[in-house]
Amino acid sequence: MTTIAAQAQLREIQFTEFDLDNGLHVILHEDHSTPIVAVGVMYHVGSKNEPDDRRGFAHFFEHLLFEGSDNIARGEFSKYVEKAGGVLNANTTGDRTYYYEVLPSNQLDLGLWLESERMMHAKVDQKGIDTQREVVKEERRQRYENQPYGSILIEVLKRAYRKHPYRWPTIGYMEDLNAATEQDYVNFYKTFYVPNNAVLVVAGDVDPKEARKGVEAYFAPIPKGRAIVRPNIMEPAMDGEVRDVVHDQVQLPAVVEAYRIPAYGSPDFYAVDMLNRLLSQGNSSRLQTNVKDRQQKALYVGSFTLPLEDPGLSIAFAVANAGVPPDELEKAMDAEFAKVRDQIVSDAEFKRLRAQIETEFVTDNGRVAGIANNLASAYTFLGDASMINKEIERYMAVTPKDLQAAAMKYFVPSNRVVLHYLPKTQQQ
Amino acid sequence: MDTRSKLRKGPSFVPLILALLLPALMDAQIDRTQAPKPGPAPEVKLGDHKTFTLDNGMRVIVVENHKLPLTSVQVRFDVPIFLQGDLMGVTDMTGDLLAAGTPGRTKEQIDALVDGIGGRLSTSSDGLYASCLKKDLDTLMQVVQDVVCHPTFPEAEIERVRKRTLSGIRSRNDDPDAIASEVGHMLTFSRGYPYGEIATERTVGNIQQKHIKGYYDRFFRPEKGYVVFVGDINEKEARSFAERAFGNWKAAVPSGAKDKSGVEVVEGLGTVRYPRKEPVAARTRRMALVDRPGAPQSVVRVVFPVQLRPGDDIAMDAQVMNTVLGGGVFNARLMQNLREDKGYTYGAYSNLNADRFCGSFSAGASVRTPVTDSAITEAMFEIERMTRKGVSKEELQLAKNYMAGSFARSLEDPRTIARFALNTYLNDLPQDHYATYLKRLDTVTVDGVLHAARALLVPDQATILVVGDKESLYNRLTQLSFDQRVFQFDEDGSPYREKLEGAPAGVTANTVLDAYFKALGGREAVEKVRSVKMVLSGSRGDKPVTITRYNAEPNKYASETVVDGRLEEKVVLDGARAQRIGEEGTEEIIEMELEDLIQAAAPFPELHYNDLGIRPVLSGIADVGGRKAYKLTIATDNGGVYFDYFDVETGMKVRHEERRAYDASGITVVTDYQDMRPEGGIMFPHLIVEKKLSTVAYAVSEITVNGRIDASVFTVD
Repeated sequence: MTTIAAQAQLREIQFTEFDLDNGLHVILHEDHSTPIVAVGVMYHVGSKNEPDDRRGFAHFFEHLLFEGSDNIARGEFSKYVEKAGGVLNANTTGDRTYYYEVLPSNQLDLGLWLESERMMHAKVDQKGIDTQREVVKEERRQRYENQPYGSILIEVLKRAYRKHPYRWPTIGYMEDLNAATEQDYVNFYKTFYVPNNAVLVVAGDVDPKEARKGVEAYFAPIPKGRAIVRPNIMEPAMDGEVRDVVHDQVQLPAVVEAYRIPAYGSPDFYAVDMLNRLLSQGNSSRLQTNVKDRQQKALYVGSFTLPLEDPGLSIAFAVANAGVPPDELEKAMDAEFAKVRDQIVSDAEFKRLRAQIETEFVTDNGRVAGIANNLASAYTFLGDASMINKEIERYMAVTPKDLQAAAMKYFVPSNRVVLHYLPKTQQQ
Repeated sequence: MDTRSKLRKGPSFVPLILALLLPALMDAQIDRTQAPKPGPAPEVKLGDHKTFTLDNGMRVIVVENHKLPLTSVQVRFDVPIFLQGDLMGVTDMTGDLLAAGTPGRTKEQIDALVDGIGGRLSTSSDGLYASCLKKDLDTLMQVVQDVVCHPTFPEAEIERVRKRTLSGIRSRNDDPDAIASEVGHMLTFSRGYPYGEIATERTVGNIQQKHIKGYYDRFFRPEKGYVVFVGDINEKEARSFAERAFGNWKAAVPSGAKDKSGVEVVEGLGTVRYPRKEPVAARTRRMALVDRPGAPQSVVRVVFPVQLRPGDDIAMDAQVMNTVLGGGVFNARLMQNLREDKGYTYGAYSNLNADRFCGSFSAGASVRTPVTDSAITEAMFEIERMTRKGVSKEELQLAKNYMAGSFARSLEDPRTIARFALNTYLNDLPQDHYATYLKRLDTVTVDGVLHAARALLVPDQATILVVGDKESLYNRLTQLSFDQRVFQFDEDGSPYREKLEGAPAGVTANTVLDAYFKALGGREAVEKVRSVKMVLSGSRGDKPVTITRYNAEPNKYASETVVDGRLEEKVVLDGARAQRIGEEGTEEIIEMELEDLIQAAAPFPELHYNDLGIRPVLSGIADVGGRKAYKLTIATDNGGVYFDYFDVETGMKVRHEERRAYDASGITVVTDYQDMRPEGGIMFPHLIVEKKLSTVAYAVSEITVNGRIDASVFTVD
């Protein structure tokens, strides 16, 4: 414990932060080891902010925000970045949308200009909308439809939630995107792409004083938006196991077990996340050792936490070895879930678990792009950027008893969706 | 409103505090209409590495970086490529099994040791990679040493890995990207080259412990080995760790035995054939297809081998060229054309791989099925354009800047320096190869890029692989092929063979046809049909199409196709002669086409098979739209062949498939018959779906059996 605390202090990510009058929160991190800088903006809007007839809109919108602005013509956004020797991208989840550039450090102002243009007066024409709609459809086909087991998340979400917008995937549904009108774009932009709903991070080879000047020059003129109304939908507890079969273009059956878990940041969340590591991180974890190696039931097995702002999911997924029926695989997985409920974790395993978290914590902040993202997330979801240094304490506060209690509370059949993926040839 | 106008309109009385701030605010005034100018370019410093050799020849490379309390160690052996043949997969299986047991530790003990320190260990066919917190490096190195020097490859673990590998092959065969990658390599390099081999259930089944041990003993040897330390470690510590772990490691000298034809024989592994010739591109552009029935997207790859090694003079020009074409930047031509302009794909890329044995080029994208041929046309257009005109100055500058930026960004990770050092040795590069990278990049010109494009890109000899839905694509791909051929492959790269289920005993072509007549309404009723008139309506794009078709005994046929109110084509057969009347006038139909028309003229040609001496062959049971159907292969007098499919349950004909030998386009026409309902006591389809280059569904709006037909319908001028 002392070593971890000491290490944590030694490796602490230093940063400064301030707010602009328009409500934009700004975080600056200085690191001169490589002459590059990451500029990231996290908007606190994701697919859970969509009305239920505009599913996928937040992510579609992310695509449109590369189209240009009052001062940037269509197609020029990425050109500015690449001409400067930088990279850019963005991604959307159920809870937030994150845009970033990584640039040579003498191009910081370019990054600030681009992101402030995006926030201030982004612009998109009909050709952009039509093209990106097709691009997003291809993204959906590529990631979800034309991949074996690619539909897992979609199939899980629609059964795990009945009320909450988490019931649809971030990629959304094409019929909703087809139905969107120009007014929808305007409304969405005006409502969510405002400084008071965003955090800007600058990380890398910069002088924080200079960086602050640049930030103020580019972002201060952006008007504040109205207060954000956030969805306040309480998903009722699951009232029993949901079980279904999905037929897919696959030869090997798969088993998915999705358990409802508490929101990211809550104490129980950390216990559940540690349980998942105990179950599937590293070759000596329980699912790997027992289900995959000893019993040879699975070609692949893993169990992950979806860290979501509202109560999320823990998803265990296993692909059966050739000739292993899904029932048999499920039974083997369930035995491991039963074990974490029935028995307290051994000292040796618990030590191992903490060692893994410690290493991960150190590895996690190796690059400025990652640091920028982590600072933005810590601020947005934990309300405090310094959680980038302190979140490990929440893991270290979890005891073996907490693990067992969390397993008994969340990893129970009545709190889950079970899907069997079967070859399409077995349909009918 | 901008900052400036706010200040101008501000009060004339400026409080002291504001006045102090004013210069700063003035500084901050910006012109939003222009991109800001960059500051002076920062210097990119290449970190250095230390290197030394152990007595047994093992080279140690150390990159010191104390930013994080983390150390990684890589062990890498310089293994030549050779043909694995019937043992394909043996090198990968050896890699998978390297940490599966040593004389002193079981696999579970090794795993527990590594996980116990929160470390990582992954093994591969030419070494391993491991990392942990610095404080645990001693523990990690004990495992690394044990695994590298004393692997035992226990039989039980071999069977476990074999089982998983076999499952992995099945899983690979479900994944269109994995198929495209494997079959793409096979088509790039050919099966006769190590990079073109594909592991199958058969070859993995052949692998035994002696092969694995033979491979390990021959190629995992200290004098061919590198140990690379990166991170929180200094040279002295690295030397001590390396000496302790590998200083005393000796491996038996390879026997060097050869067989009669001079091929090396390795104990345990058998003959080891090293490639003697470099792969060459195909003689002409060819199309290849792996069928994924019903796939919503096609994975497209344009591939060919290239003569490109990492140290070649042309290598830098070549990489700049590829960056403009499709190598990673968003502004690359393939991405801009196929995604940003056409919306065909989520991403289109090209990859030019310099390799010490044989380089390769690959370009491609995942595109929705209906635009597959258009996407291929655009991709080929971009590759050809590059060889014709090269790049513009603006594109060149963007690519160079981007590559310089990537180089700088990559240096953020200390492992990059180690990778550079290792590459320098493995590829026999000049010691300053990476130190001069930015300088060399800076000198690349548009002429150099054009030269590289012409030297390396061979679009006319490319192999274009499509992993997608054959039924929608086959005809279109035929049109893109230089020789009107499409080579079909299975997922494992072997030439495609139709997989038909055998028909049950007692079922013959004759019983299938009898069942068909019965399903139609009985042979007697069918024989009474002398003529059938059918009117079909559908649409091509947004244009309505109406086809009126007459089939009559003996040998009479007429069809009239009206598109958007205009007569497009009329075909008439009067019993002996036939004509086609179109917008360009009238032509006589002769020879094979005439024979085909006569053969198909009768309302139910199957009734005449006996008289004509046609003997249909039952080929087996195929899948038609998810239902089982008997497939009859029918060879005609004139050397043609077509296929009819009859539903196993209902007996009804559900599909007709033919490719006319005299049709130079090579198109296969597939006609599906659906929605069977009775008309005048005989079952007729009420929905006919015709698949040529595109698919048209026709609703049957009129069926007249034995109606009065005006003689003029069958009149030929």
